[in-house]
Amino acid sequence: MLKSLRTFIQIHKRIKQHATVFSIVIVVMLFGLFLEAYMHDFNLVYITLFFVFSFAFSAGPLGVLNLGHLKATFVPSGRFFAGQEGNILVEVTNISTTPSWSVTLHAKGSSIELAQLKGESRATLSLPFTPTKRGIFQYAECYLESKYPLSTARLTLAIEDIYRGIAYPEPNGKSLETFLNETETHYGEEKEFDGLRVYDGSQKLSHIHWASVAKGELLVKTFTKEMQTADLVFDFYKAGSDDEARLSQLCLWVLACEKKHLPFSVKLPKVQLGSHKESIDEILTTLATY
Amino acid sequence: MRFSLPSLPTKLDDLVLLDLAYIVVLLPLILMLKVPMILFSIIVLSLLYFKRTPAGNGLILFVFILGVLSVYLSMYGAFSFRGLSRLKLFLELLVYVLLVVVAMQRLTRKINFYLLISPFLFLALSLFFYHSIVMLTYVIFEVFFLLWMILTHRMQSDLVESFRSAMVMFMYSLPWVVVLFIFFPRISFEHANYGFKGETVQRMGHDGTMYLDNKALLVPSNRIVMEVGFEKQVPPSHYLYFRGSILYIDKKDHWEPIPPFVKRKNHVSYKKDGIKIAYKVTLYPTQKRWIYLLDIPQSPVKESVLDRDLISTVKHFIKEPIHYTARSTLNSKFYDKVDRYTLKVSSRFDPKQNPKTYEEALKIKNLYVSKKERAKAIVTFFHTKSLTYTLKPEPLDINHTTDSFLFDKKRGYCVHFASSFTTMARMAGIPARIVTGYKGDSSNALNNYLAVKEKDAHAWVELYMNEHWVRYETTSTASHIEINTVGSENEQTNSPTQSPLAKKINLYLMYAKYQVETWILYYSNIRQKQLLQYAKNNPRFIFIFVISLIALLIITFLIITYLKRPRYSSEALSILQPLLRSLKKKGFVRKKDESLHQYFMRYIEDNQEKKDLRIHIKEIDKIYELIVYRNLYTKELVQRLKKLIKEFHKI
Repeated sequence: MLKSLRTFIQIHKRIKQHATVFSIVIVVMLFGLFLEAYMHDFNLVYITLFFVFSFAFSAGPLGVLNLGHLKATFVPSGRFFAGQEGNILVEVTNISTTPSWSVTLHAKGSSIELAQLKGESRATLSLPFTPTKRGIFQYAECYLESKYPLSTARLTLAIEDIYRGIAYPEPNGKSLETFLNETETHYGEEKEFDGLRVYDGSQKLSHIHWASVAKGELLVKTFTKEMQTADLVFDFYKAGSDDEARLSQLCLWVLACEKKHLPFSVKLPKVQLGSHKESIDEILTTLATY
Repeated sequence: MRFSLPSLPTKLDDLVLLDLAYIVVLLPLILMLKVPMILFSIIVLSLLYFKRTPAGNGLILFVFILGVLSVYLSMYGAFSFRGLSRLKLFLELLVYVLLVVVAMQRLTRKINFYLLISPFLFLALSLFFYHSIVMLTYVIFEVFFLLWMILTHRMQSDLVESFRSAMVMFMYSLPWVVVLFIFFPRISFEHANYGFKGETVQRMGHDGTMYLDNKALLVPSNRIVMEVGFEKQVPPSHYLYFRGSILYIDKKDHWEPIPPFVKRKNHVSYKKDGIKIAYKVTLYPTQKRWIYLLDIPQSPVKESVLDRDLISTVKHFIKEPIHYTARSTLNSKFYDKVDRYTLKVSSRFDPKQNPKTYEEALKIKNLYVSKKERAKAIVTFFHTKSLTYTLKPEPLDINHTTDSFLFDKKRGYCVHFASSFTTMARMAGIPARIVTGYKGDSSNALNNYLAVKEKDAHAWVELYMNEHWVRYETTSTASHIEINTVGSENEQTNSPTQSPLAKKINLYLMYAKYQVETWILYYSNIRQKQLLQYAKNNPRFIFIFVISLIALLIITFLIITYLKRPRYSSEALSILQPLLRSLKKKGFVRKKDESLHQYFMRYIEDNQEKKDLRIHIKEIDKIYELIVYRNLYTKELVQRLKKLIKEFHKI
């Protein structure tokens, strides 16, 4: 019993209570019922009044217990890129044997409804988040909210955990394909006809497929490289006009290489990174923190 | 059952929840709706049923006009601006207006704040109109139902889950309600009417006059006039005379009291010898001013005045139930030094009106000197006349009522006996008067409780002898009692159609009703004080009270624990819980995303040396798999699983 009381007090300290419009309704109702009861000593009204009072009174602890048994932590949530929406994952665990009801996760203007969380279970929620710029960021000020049971109070439980993440530069610029086309001679020789694709202005004129032009379509021939160079080298200075554009370009190429499993290296002013030495995330982190 | 059944379609739309709430709160109010409003409600319900899309402005305007018309027709003739001061009429108008407004909003199919709070307004309004045990039960149900609906909406869950939560909350609240109800300070002074006037409710029964003509044929009803709680057992019937009024003047067809303009000496100190008794009375609205006290009252109660004839009255008509504690001395005679006027009116008679009776009375008067002997002779005379007690007497000759009753019809009830006896006593030289009131029927008593009904209205006679008024129960002079008498007047008759068991059950129900009404419906400042006073003087009572409160807390706690038990997806999983708890207690915690099978296997691996345990857990795992994943649900398997889990604890 004492243990339960201690637990309740601990939980109660963690939870904040805020008034709602229904808090006012309850107060008005209690006042109105009292006037009615006082009028003629209506015991039926007194009974209703006491029930309403007791419900409002017991709603507090019930609401606290409903929310207090929840624990929310951030979990690794994938990559974030500046200017692009990502998802921060929050894992909400109910450590009690009884379900929690009507719970909502709130964070920086967005909210996700959890509705019911069964006893001794967990749920993972995705919070949409768009980093405004590259670099290390922190995500905090999240809280769980519930109006259970009567909407007479809005209970909030702050998530003490802070999400520390890194936003990589926004992948932007020329595609890897364009880069390869521009630097074709240096990085391989065309050997086998591979197929046709739409001409986008960057291909050689000699690759134009004239037969398709005759049919009214502007297609170009693509060829597989006979041999690929051991390493693609992305030079920081050649990647764009300013630092941010360069970092965005490099980020785009790194991701494309990761997708195509191409080995590469990035030449930064003071350091050279290589996919055979560093992991992609390490390379991206270097770009993010440049 | 601790596992959930396959999900039933019990999730309801918010609008449906609100409709259900409205149905429940409007049910008692329907009983007071006038026909136009009922028709209006039916039309609105039909529109809601047939039109499943939000109503347009045209339809809402139509409903508004219809509503206003219905309100007008319902209140037609009963309402003026002065009528606003009549509380119930004003409240009735409020109910109608609210009904129209709610109907208009409901047709839009949009839930707004006003639509959400209106069920509570209807509930509060209905409490003005009803005040009975049925309503008490219904109010508790209403409160619970509204809580259930709110929780269903808040939890967005099925009705079963929200019902469990509502029950938990209700149980949490119950002890608080009980404690608050008992101890919340009640108002001792007059209650506010907020400028409204009271309502008029007419009741029958005893009144200030006594008719001998056809009006006397009215049979009083079974309605309870007052309920009396004695400190100990209810005294025997021959003590249960509740004084109402004293009638002195014979007006041929009826008897009247001394007119109020006649000034008589008041406040006479009476010597009161006999059994002293205290009792509590709940007197229901009579629309009269009499306070009924047992013969002989010791002192006035509350704000009443006890006159020289020991008649207790209050200044205003009794329009609300009143509760009072009174003290009386149970005796059939009391000393009184009457004034000349009273003596004169108590001796007045007209010999020409009842010559036959007069002749007989003179014989008695000449034969006996003492008034006591004369009275005895009159009683004997009545016995010799073979009078029949009946509630269906033939009409008497109004110009010669006593002669007609004693010598011709010979059939009557208390009124006729009392009237004739008084007349004859006066003729025999004994001052006499009629007392009307109620005579408690011991068959309506249980332990210390006595219900006094309208049919218990009674009349008896007081003769003035040796400076004492002596009570005479004149109906006891009847030689016959008509068995098929409808509704007994007092203890003389019992309804032959009712079996003793049914009568006993009825009495117990009435007793229960009385207790509920006394301690719940009409619990007041006085009752509260009485309770506290009683508690002060009785430590045993405090002990019982505290024990009862603890018992209530334990019961609610047990119910809450039962309701809060977690529900599992299958019966097998529910059966497994003691085992899982036991393993967890031993420090063997299930990992995140670990299946039960994996969990059991890990346990087996960790306990290789314990062969018995391994075999046991393996079998449990196997049976669980058969039941849950291979759908081989059989009673035998379930029993086996239960048995294995029991055995596991013993290993």
